[in-house]
Amino acid sequence: MHIPDGFLSTATVATTYVISAGGIGNAVRLANKNLGEKHIPMMGILAAFIFAAQMLNFPVAGGTSGHFLGAALVAILLGPWAAVLIMAVVLTGQCFIFQDGGILALGANIFNMGIVGGFSAYYIYKGLSAVLGDSNRSKLISGFAASWASVLLASIACAIELAVSGTSPLSVALPAMAGVHAIIGVGEGLITVAVVSLVMATRSDLLKLQRI
Amino acid sequence: MKHSFLDKYSDKDSLIHRLDPRTKLVAALVFIALVVLLPHASWLTYSLYFTVVAALIIISRVPVTYIFLRSLVIVPFVLMVALFIPFFKEGVEAFSFNIFSWHLSVTYEGLETLGSVMAKAWLSILFLIVLTSTTTFSNILKALESLKIPRVLVMIMSFMYRYIFVLTDEVMRMKQARDSRNFGSGGKRLWQIKTVGNMIGTLFIRSYERGERVYASMVARGFDGHSRTLDRLCFKPADVYFVIALGTSLTLITLLNLLY
Repeated sequence: MHIPDGFLSTATVATTYVISAGGIGNAVRLANKNLGEKHIPMMGILAAFIFAAQMLNFPVAGGTSGHFLGAALVAILLGPWAAVLIMAVVLTGQCFIFQDGGILALGANIFNMGIVGGFSAYYIYKGLSAVLGDSNRSKLISGFAASWASVLLASIACAIELAVSGTSPLSVALPAMAGVHAIIGVGEGLITVAVVSLVMATRSDLLKLQRI
Repeated sequence: MKHSFLDKYSDKDSLIHRLDPRTKLVAALVFIALVVLLPHASWLTYSLYFTVVAALIIISRVPVTYIFLRSLVIVPFVLMVALFIPFFKEGVEAFSFNIFSWHLSVTYEGLETLGSVMAKAWLSILFLIVLTSTTTFSNILKALESLKIPRVLVMIMSFMYRYIFVLTDEVMRMKQARDSRNFGSGGKRLWQIKTVGNMIGTLFIRSYERGERVYASMVARGFDGHSRTLDRLCFKPADVYFVIALGTSLTLITLLNLLY
């Protein structure tokens, strides 16, 4: 879902840059307020964690393999603003190290995967676990639903940006992108559940960290 | 600590390598912005821009095959957008085909959009690869900082870069342990996903604990939220010549594009 340069119109590039810059600015401010200068090494190392975790491939179907995306897990464990900050840093790194996603499209990529992905995951997780009760089982179900939905919603944001830029019509881009990512999201959801249940069993205190 | 896939060739030497990272970063931004602003189907202009990138690639002495293979990272995205093209309804029909009772037609307008978008994406990524394979990541970070990206963000990114190597080593060890226990050759898919999930969970706990240890040792050494580095970026005569050469060629191409 990393949009390369050239696919988005100037207006889309400018709009998403402004929104993402504002989001990152607020994320830095909140991280600084809640964690103090500790957030600098911590956010950096957790961004490196996302990078390393994405190297673990698992087989999907027909010889293809998938990997973990991470925004939902970070949002569930550390809060939506932490997810925005960490994903922004990860995506900038991916742009300059792997050329995965363009420089001008960076604003849009941060918006889709950091802001849309992080916030939707956090609020769906919070809402569902409030409805389902405080058991471990309800946390896992909410974690699955939140990760699945965050991947799906991020891909829908991407389809809308492509359509607004005149690259592809919304009537086709939307179902195609959403369809593919509804499947990818299942893998993401299952992995998030496995991660959360491992953390629950070994370091359950990490599930009660202060969220930002 | 042998992950050469990260900024490969950035330690080599050439005219482009020796330029100030700020010059290269600004040049890349200007170039990509110009390419993105171009109207669809300006084929002549695209090829002129391509000549500029090609010249830079040759001067940088980064292997052409490497740059080409790297640029293929955009292929999945291009393919996905290409799938939508048959559904552009407006315009003159180029050819059409039927899938059962479903009539699909490909219009010239649709093909033109796809071609233009592909050309723009490819030109942009080529310049981006030239930038990143001639500049080390730490120099790109310094350049970003001097372009007024908040210092905190740059510091977080430099921590990320430092620990990517450590955590990648950790992942490689875990992967080796997993594969030597027959991971690839059997087991249900759900079990495989659970294994990967457990590995990522372990990695998360270790990373979080590492973050706490690193912070504690930084505080013990007097860290107060600021980093003090010896800033050694300098704008040299070579940068001036580069800016003049690139600026002139880009201006000429833009003028040519406006005239025709």
